[in-house]
Amino acid sequence: MIWLGWRQQRTETVITAALLGFVAAFLVPTGIEMAHAYAHDGLANCLGLNTGPACGDAVSAFELRFSKFTGLVGWFNLVPGLFGVVLAAPYVLELEHGTHRLAWTQSITRFQWVRAKLALAITSTLVAAAALIALYTWWRVPFVHLDGRMDNGAFDAQGTVVLGYALFALGLALAVGAVWRRGIPAVLVSFVGYFVARIFVDTWLRQRFIAPKQLTFSSGRGDPPALWHAWIISEGPSNAQGGPAVFPRGGCVAHAQHGFRATKACMASLGGHVHALFEPASRFWALQGIETALFAGVGVTLIAFAGWWTLRSE
Amino acid sequence: MNAAAIRAQGLGKRYGTTWALRDCVLDIPAGSVTALVGPNGAGKTTLLKLAVGLTRPSAGSIEVLGSSPRDDERALMHRIGFVAQDHPLHLRFAVDEMLALGRHLNPTWNDELARERLARLRIPLDRKVGKLSGGQQAQVALTLALGKQPELLLLDEPVASLDPLARREFLNTVMEAVSESAVTVVLSSHIVADLERVCDHLVILSESRPLLVGSIDDVVASHRLLTGPCTDSPGVARVHDVIRASHTKRQTTLLVRANGHVYDAKWQVHEVDLEEIVLAYLGYGVDVHEREAVAS
Repeated sequence: MIWLGWRQQRTETVITAALLGFVAAFLVPTGIEMAHAYAHDGLANCLGLNTGPACGDAVSAFELRFSKFTGLVGWFNLVPGLFGVVLAAPYVLELEHGTHRLAWTQSITRFQWVRAKLALAITSTLVAAAALIALYTWWRVPFVHLDGRMDNGAFDAQGTVVLGYALFALGLALAVGAVWRRGIPAVLVSFVGYFVARIFVDTWLRQRFIAPKQLTFSSGRGDPPALWHAWIISEGPSNAQGGPAVFPRGGCVAHAQHGFRATKACMASLGGHVHALFEPASRFWALQGIETALFAGVGVTLIAFAGWWTLRSE
Repeated sequence: MNAAAIRAQGLGKRYGTTWALRDCVLDIPAGSVTALVGPNGAGKTTLLKLAVGLTRPSAGSIEVLGSSPRDDERALMHRIGFVAQDHPLHLRFAVDEMLALGRHLNPTWNDELARERLARLRIPLDRKVGKLSGGQQAQVALTLALGKQPELLLLDEPVASLDPLARREFLNTVMEAVSESAVTVVLSSHIVADLERVCDHLVILSESRPLLVGSIDDVVASHRLLTGPCTDSPGVARVHDVIRASHTKRQTTLLVRANGHVYDAKWQVHEVDLEEIVLAYLGYGVDVHEREAVAS
């Protein structure tokens, strides 16, 4: 059965490897370039909170130079989803073509067939996702040193969440395909579903996993240590208590007629403070764990459902 | 020919609210070559799928080689060879990869036998299955089923999509296998002509129920065509089962399943061939009952 599974997954394995190759073809040269620039500019000395203006310039220059890459790399968020739906295809296509009945009428049980097919799909998906994580984590090292890895752009491609994403996409395509028995439509629909789920979690759900911390600080002296490499969910001018800054009608100019003190008080009430809602860098693994469990849990449930449905429906 | 290769008791299969097969009671003897005959939708495919465990009975039970196909899957499956209706194969596999599939999935696989059979049929092993003709694909599917050296071979409409020559070659392969290994064969078809050459038993299915089960010799021997006066058919019907009746102004023709010897001076008695019998059961069965009801 292992031989048959591999043989049937040959095309999909090639597609998956090609995807990885495509990603590597972009990440490896640019990663080497970034690592080189990082070392050359001596940015390793510029980590930390108060590093002086020369460092600030060097960091800005580095980030400006390579920001075009980080923008592009955002597209790689789609890749774990592609792995999942592509590697679900052999199972679904087999149901579509009816060739599973050929296997079921050999000397193996239907359960053995389902188990072998799904195990192979899961293993391949996890291996591909792990390779992607390794590549991406290596590539992003300079940026992680400078900015941390809490931001969506980094968080989504590191740690363990990628395994969860890929499993989720795999499970979704398998479940849709087991019920629908149409390979190409199932793959397309599942990919859209994957995309929607990712956007929902990225933009809405993730910041609700653990209640974000709040901090109000004076804006004049740079960011406080708590915000170092943190995921800043929102940040804006506030009053000293962290409440919303009140903008009186006509601004503070109107207060001038009551004298300078009144104007200053008005200015103080407007801010000079910043209120931030954030997840500190120390929560990286906690958030990774929750999100991985969420996606992988749903993914595994969907995979189990696909197997159960296949066995039940015949 | 003592034990039953397939034994169905009150077997039924329902899809939604329609019964694809119901009240099916039959014994298919081991060692027989049985034709499963009936129009499309009569339940032939359903019966074979039940026999090979691809679907679960909704009612009654089916026993294959003494085991339940659904519950004793592991013990039973290597003893059954099955070729599905559209003989699904992996079209992108080369022929020898299909053989590898058989080898990997069947502990009782006989690779030599399979290769020899394909060589005799001049089917190239390195060709993609999708590039083979329909007849060759059917032969590959059959080779796959025979390669596991089954005790029971189930073929669902194996020749329906084949041209006459390929049909003949396919059935020849089946007959060779029978002569070599004494395998029990059940094949379904709606083409009766070929079956008489190959089969020795017959099951006629119509509208989800078996109408007739028996050895072809007995079936042919027990059916007679009677022609005689229009007025006397109720008398015949009291003794024999009238399968089909047709009336003209001058005479009545009856196809009967005789209970005992048919001798009646008023009637001319003719022998009938298998095809006529099958057609009578399938085409005019309902018609007769209506006529009888009017007549009596």
